[in-house]
Amino acid sequence: MADWWLPRRLFAQRTADRRKPERRVIVVTFGGGVRYEDTLAREGWVNIPHLASELVPQGLVYPVARHEGLTGHFNSTGALVTGSRQNVDAYGSEAPVTPTIFELFRKEHALGPEEAWVIATNKSFGLMGGSKLRSFGDPYSANVVLPKQLLISTIKAAVSTEAGPGVEDRQALAERMMLALDEGYEGFGWKVFESGRVLGAELKASLAKSLLDYFNDPATPTSGDELTFFMTKEIMNRFAPSLLVVNFWDIDIAHYGAYSLYLEAIRRTDRLVHELWQHARSLREYRDRTTLFVVPEMGRDSDVAGNGFANHRSGDESCRRVWLVALGAGVPKGAGTERPIKTMDVAPTVARILGFNMVECEGKPLAELAF
Amino acid sequence: MQFNAGLTGEAATLARQHSEMLARLPATVHALILVELQKWPLLFGPEQRYQRALLEHLSGLSRRELDQMAAGVERIETDAGVNRLGERNPSRFQDDAQALLRKRGLNVAWRGSVDGFFQRVDPVLEAQLYPADAPRRLVVQLYGGGIAVQREKLWSRFKGAGVRVPLNLEGANGTERFLEALFGAREPGRRVPALFAGAVESSPFDAWLIESHEALHALCETSETSGGKDRGPSAGALTGLSYDRLRVYRDDLTRALNRKIQSGVESPQAFAAYARSLQLVPPAGTLLYSAEVLLAFVRDVLLTGNGTLLMNNTFVEWAAIQALRRAQPRILVTRFGVRDKLKPFSSMVLFSQPRASDHNPVVQDPVGSFIDVEQLSYYVWLNAEKNAAYRQKTLYLFLAEGVDEMLAIRSDTPAATPSGMAPARVADVYATMAGWLGVPVPGTSGRPIGPLVGP
Repeated sequence: MADWWLPRRLFAQRTADRRKPERRVIVVTFGGGVRYEDTLAREGWVNIPHLASELVPQGLVYPVARHEGLTGHFNSTGALVTGSRQNVDAYGSEAPVTPTIFELFRKEHALGPEEAWVIATNKSFGLMGGSKLRSFGDPYSANVVLPKQLLISTIKAAVSTEAGPGVEDRQALAERMMLALDEGYEGFGWKVFESGRVLGAELKASLAKSLLDYFNDPATPTSGDELTFFMTKEIMNRFAPSLLVVNFWDIDIAHYGAYSLYLEAIRRTDRLVHELWQHARSLREYRDRTTLFVVPEMGRDSDVAGNGFANHRSGDESCRRVWLVALGAGVPKGAGTERPIKTMDVAPTVARILGFNMVECEGKPLAELAF
Repeated sequence: MQFNAGLTGEAATLARQHSEMLARLPATVHALILVELQKWPLLFGPEQRYQRALLEHLSGLSRRELDQMAAGVERIETDAGVNRLGERNPSRFQDDAQALLRKRGLNVAWRGSVDGFFQRVDPVLEAQLYPADAPRRLVVQLYGGGIAVQREKLWSRFKGAGVRVPLNLEGANGTERFLEALFGAREPGRRVPALFAGAVESSPFDAWLIESHEALHALCETSETSGGKDRGPSAGALTGLSYDRLRVYRDDLTRALNRKIQSGVESPQAFAAYARSLQLVPPAGTLLYSAEVLLAFVRDVLLTGNGTLLMNNTFVEWAAIQALRRAQPRILVTRFGVRDKLKPFSSMVLFSQPRASDHNPVVQDPVGSFIDVEQLSYYVWLNAEKNAAYRQKTLYLFLAEGVDEMLAIRSDTPAATPSGMAPARVADVYATMAGWLGVPVPGTSGRPIGPLVGP
């Protein structure tokens, strides 16, 4: 399937790159804000069966991780990919103010844009791929894909009027998707730094068809994270990027105040993380050379000191207490350390693994990993 | 800082009387108080009493005391350059100040400092506003029939709190009979069941019914439609909010928000401002009692509560918490129900109005609803206990329709009590609530459950 949906000229760019490192890194945000008590605490294991019983025994767990800084999605994830606290618009209208690992990585290794990707369910992550700093910025940023937002915009357009075929006519839906891509893809879901920053016709067509196939499949199209997972696999298959940040975000449904849906989203994320790791191990480009980090970008409010699971803005300890699981290349198996770490430690750790210099930041490399 | 708040009536009088003190406050705190005073006609009685007490207390402090209390906030304002803002409208000033504090990375410190300011004030005000001999209060939380209650997990959040009372449900099967047995039948000439009729003293806001469906409302007569010449619209009425009955209003709000989204929104703040400006109101007959302050309350609940437009039980919980915080009713009854399953990718059509052919069938989620309401009823209780109006003087009852057990928590003796009680009839629960509140309910065959109503 991947053969047709990404453009050959992008594929061809890979051969031009000479400095692609041997190692690969995938950072998965167990995202949307999740409480320690609902996940890695003993009473939460029931919600993360794959992590608790299959992944953690294969890797290294840091049960005491902390997110410092603002407890919004963009700033907390921004801290993760820069190694420093961020204080920009919570809704994603501003880029991180310090260099991201994507820019540093690509610039130092002189790598093309297909080597660093952000695939995010959160619709406000369009600017997560890079800072706007003069010596970094767009030329070195990651490709950012917001698959759910693209699909949502298309469906919304399709059902918003009495005229037209609605969502039941799949061909019409495909045409709508094409239209959506033509109308301004950066606005909702697709930011790829190709030459001239114009999405090629072939890519547009194949993306639309890909999403349509996904939407047509009655077995899978249940959530934004499923779609993000689908898109991540496609990108891994085609580009085998060295650095991939995957933002799962269904858990943020907690804002609806339905605890059961929040728990359901945690279980789904747990399953998708497991499947993603299985997929990585099945690909020659990733097998035995990939380090996976799984980390919530932040927690959610506690019941007593905060405002409960539905929110994450109180700044209480429950908003900040998270955990991190690392596995794969360079990670000791079946290990764990109570040493407190920060989510900001992820960025300099990625830098050590992929062999680029990290600018001065608040995080420190995780010394337990072999670089 | 001189503000132009455009106050009228009692709010203007208060601001004038305390102008000297207000001028000495940090600008952000000054603006905060003025914004509350601007809302004066839409504040509930307890909120107005709090504002009066706050102003009097602060004015009663010496200059040195006030300066000491305000020093932390003042320092952060200076660091952020807040005092250089030229905006004179307190609401817009707040927005500008927040933007500035955020830009300088000082908003967390500012919030902590303002919290600290009020933590010094509030205990004094609470002792004054909520004396130990204030009337007792009652909060009843019901799980409606249809929720897939798991007995072994029922009320599991309340570890170590209260007492489990076995119930004899004979004669109280089915929602209608159960609720009538619990709250008493409506007597001739009355709009509401006997328990509420006895407890509503001065205002319909003394008793609130908040529910996902309509079973509680079915026990009452809507004041808007009663039409009796000998009764004013509020006489004998109480306050009721039903998610189902608000359907038309919710749809109107959703459509308005959708139109705004389609036409373009510049920022979340602008969208919130637009939402606040909407002049839509629920159709006549939707509410048991209708007043301006309540209409504003309902709009705020639906527009500012996460998920309240979409999830019936979330609406119940959030409305209940806001009612406890703001209106502080003497009786609050919540009734949760079964919510619908979320459709795949439902957010795609969240604010759109798809045609019938685009709809997937609605499927209920009784199992998920149980998990939800366990958490939500716990939050209602937690929030009540955070409130000085309820601490130490409230009886909390938790019942699930069709379940022969009840959880009762007295906030003055919250520790778990070994049960070992004989089963109580629903009529006994009714008598217990009446006894706790001191409401006469003649003609009941029920007897109060001793440990729950004793001194």
